[in-house]
Amino acid sequence: MDEFEEILQDFLVESFELIEQLDQDLVELETTPEDLELLNRIFRVAHTVKGASSFLNFDVLTHLTHHMENILNMARHGDLKINAGIMDVVLESIDLMKSLLVTIRDTGADQGIEVAECVNRLDIAAGGSGVEAPAAETAEVAVIEEAESSDEEEPDYDSMSDKEVEDEIERLLMERQQSDKAKRDAKKKAEAEVESAVGASAEEAIVAVKSKVEPASRPQKRPAAKKEDTAAVPTETKRAATTVEQTIRVDVKRLDHLMNLIGELVLGKNRLIKINDDVEERYEGEEFLEELNQVVSIVSLVTTDLQIAVMKTRMLPIGKVFNKFPRMIRDLSRELDKKIELEISGEDTELDKSIVEEIGDPLVHIIRNSCDHGVESAEDRATFGKPEMGIIGLKAYHEGNHIVVQITDDGKGLDTDVLKNIALDKGIISEKDADTMSEKEAFALIFKPGFSTAAEVTSVSGRGVGMDVVKTNIEKLNGLIDIDSEIGKGTSIKLKIPLTLAIIQALLVGVQEEYYAIPLASVLETVRISTEEIYTVENRSVMRLREEVLSLVHIGDIFDVERVFDASEYAYVVVLGLAESKIGLIVDSLVGQEEIVIKSMGEYLKGIEGIAGATIRGDGGVTLIVDVAALMHMAKSVKSTISTQTDVKSSMQEKTKASDYKVMIVDDSRTDRLIMQKSLESMGITLIEASDGQEALGILKQGEHDFDAMLIDIEMPRMDGYSLAGEIKKYNKYKNLPLIAVTSRTGKSDRMRGVESGMVEYITKPYSPDYLMSVVKRNIKFNLEM
Amino acid sequence: MSEKLQNIINKQNQQQTAPDASQLEDVVQLVGFVVGVEEYSVPILSIQEIIKPIDWTRVPQTPGYVLGVFNLRGSVIPLIDLRQKFGLPELKHSDDTRFIVIRNEDEVAGFVIDRLTEAIRLKKSSIGPAPESIHAEESMIEGVGKQDDRILTILKVDKLLKRDF
Repeated sequence: MDEFEEILQDFLVESFELIEQLDQDLVELETTPEDLELLNRIFRVAHTVKGASSFLNFDVLTHLTHHMENILNMARHGDLKINAGIMDVVLESIDLMKSLLVTIRDTGADQGIEVAECVNRLDIAAGGSGVEAPAAETAEVAVIEEAESSDEEEPDYDSMSDKEVEDEIERLLMERQQSDKAKRDAKKKAEAEVESAVGASAEEAIVAVKSKVEPASRPQKRPAAKKEDTAAVPTETKRAATTVEQTIRVDVKRLDHLMNLIGELVLGKNRLIKINDDVEERYEGEEFLEELNQVVSIVSLVTTDLQIAVMKTRMLPIGKVFNKFPRMIRDLSRELDKKIELEISGEDTELDKSIVEEIGDPLVHIIRNSCDHGVESAEDRATFGKPEMGIIGLKAYHEGNHIVVQITDDGKGLDTDVLKNIALDKGIISEKDADTMSEKEAFALIFKPGFSTAAEVTSVSGRGVGMDVVKTNIEKLNGLIDIDSEIGKGTSIKLKIPLTLAIIQALLVGVQEEYYAIPLASVLETVRISTEEIYTVENRSVMRLREEVLSLVHIGDIFDVERVFDASEYAYVVVLGLAESKIGLIVDSLVGQEEIVIKSMGEYLKGIEGIAGATIRGDGGVTLIVDVAALMHMAKSVKSTISTQTDVKSSMQEKTKASDYKVMIVDDSRTDRLIMQKSLESMGITLIEASDGQEALGILKQGEHDFDAMLIDIEMPRMDGYSLAGEIKKYNKYKNLPLIAVTSRTGKSDRMRGVESGMVEYITKPYSPDYLMSVVKRNIKFNLEM
Repeated sequence: MSEKLQNIINKQNQQQTAPDASQLEDVVQLVGFVVGVEEYSVPILSIQEIIKPIDWTRVPQTPGYVLGVFNLRGSVIPLIDLRQKFGLPELKHSDDTRFIVIRNEDEVAGFVIDRLTEAIRLKKSSIGPAPESIHAEESMIEGVGKQDDRILTILKVDKLLKRDF
């Protein structure tokens, strides 16, 4: 039973693969009915499916494919000319075949689908084009014979006895072994000869193949057999060439698992690089650093290569999606009574499997739209002086870390005035919006839900749903949509999609003390502006970016970030683009670009607005990933606070006694702290001690004490005095807090650094207690008489 | 890794219920902890681990008791402050503060507690129902356990891990 299952699975996988190619071939066939190579290929699909399905006892499928094969065989022998009518029937039968295969996949049996009518029509098509019924009959016989002789089983096993079946199997096995052997020999020979003498002996090689292959497919009775044979030879040699490329079928789950592991590895690598940087800083000039550096760079190089390699295993050619469109265009053009041709290019462009799966639907909608609204009817086209045949182009190509899928048509183009009027009628935009709208914004109207330019709803389009689906799906993939159109000339829609989803490049931005990761795919550019360049229009902040007016939103307003730091004179604007819209996101700082792995935040925090997930950074901390689509949505309702700076309330209380004054002493040496304490003891002020920068910063952050001054040593572990001063000065609250350096470093450059980092005084050790006291007194404005 | 863990936990659950039926009838093992002034407890098998406080990242658009997320060996896990959840004022983390990582099926979250007490074995017979005044369905309280002279509240793990915003 298990074995049967396995065979069934293989059969299904193979059949679906074959059918995918079939659709395209058939449409192609309609335009070039004489292409024997193509006919043979199509015939072989029907034949293979028939053979296998009869072996697996799928009677309905066998019955159907048998009649398909029949008609195709006639065509290939020149007894039947393929025309649109016949093609319709054949395509219909292929559809039936597909649904049968789907039924088999889902239920394990091919019951419940009626094929009799279609078979009937196939027969009529076969007989109705001038060929006599008996002729069809003989064709059928020939087909059966050929099927039997090549490699598949046709006889009715039900009517055989066990013994007969045994014999039959043995006979078939023998035959198969022989033909396999013949094929192998032929292949070997062909390869050898092709290798030894390229070009000149190619003909010979083919002859050799031919002679070896011949016994496997017995000579045909019909006169057309010769013709068929000669046609078969090139395909045989082709097969010999393609089998050299070896493939293994792998469960997608395994690849997904592999991808997850790589994700972990990338995080580990990021962490390693960070640690390496830290070590480098601390042990400058040590010899082992060189070695460590080498190891880290090798690990990171290999990790990157590994990641690319694994990503490649998940890549599929976009042709897999494109394949179904020739058929769709054919059906649509008949349905709409238009003449449309599809031009596909770049179908070999590869992208991640998960994206290939997602992109199919949007493309269907865009192409249907182009057929229905874009391309005009043949008569209209003639009056405009265009060729009757409308052309829809489907193109895929790489652009950096993105793949671009472009859909073009040479139809009537989008009329911005018409678009605006419809949007006005449907209440999607206001009168004022319509006036200020740019051309691109007007084009983007077609993506609004409920928007449709069609006067009436047809079976093809007009419901105003399709393009909304396009937008949502492309946004889900972090993709961009770009529309260009010219009235009378046509429309071009570009979909720009990232190559992969699991590991992405992100721009890390800082706001106050928090960091966020923005998918780089959505970042168009970053600009630094001064706060004066921000204008407020109707309570919304905007800026002028070259020719455009860009609306702005502060990331802190979106994510309710507490403002503790001082707003600086300059702001960084990250220009985000998604699908067809743009926005400027103001951040405090740009940290840089990093490779991040998207992790879910679990059930509990699923679906937080504006957050797409989280990632783990090199330092082991968690950084949230911004959901650009949601952020753009949120930006509409967020009230701007960019210009309204909150005043820092002065918590200055009246100092009435000496102990109201508080001074922090930051020094890693206990003795030094003690000396300072003794020196200041007589003043009676409150002294709080910290043993390094980190601790001092921690005490400040807690906000339990309001300090009047700080005495800071420069050389300290964990965080030195300069960095501490820098950190402190970031806080609005401590902007005016006097910082006094107390150090044994006496160099001029040290003093300069002290001033740069915001220290107001510089006391060099050793010092007299009186001097220290006077400096402190001066800085804390100690004015109590004692 | 989480799958493996889940397996182990499942196995433990089975082992827990198996002897329960036969001989070790009706004993529950709990871990007690203090939040505010009261002592609470959760079943020991629902606890994945207990760790000392580490840094976390704030998550916007969440209620105050959701402190954010933290990194537990590569997994991003939500962090919930039980003090704020129970309506108590915020408190600075001390040396006794712990994160209890609780798991129920696929859901995991870390909970900030003031301090741990001990692991407790309690007979089922000494566990009373939750106070009646509270709506049984919405209540986070599974029951009230009595041991010697102390009373401890047993919390419902699935309710703790349920998002209510």
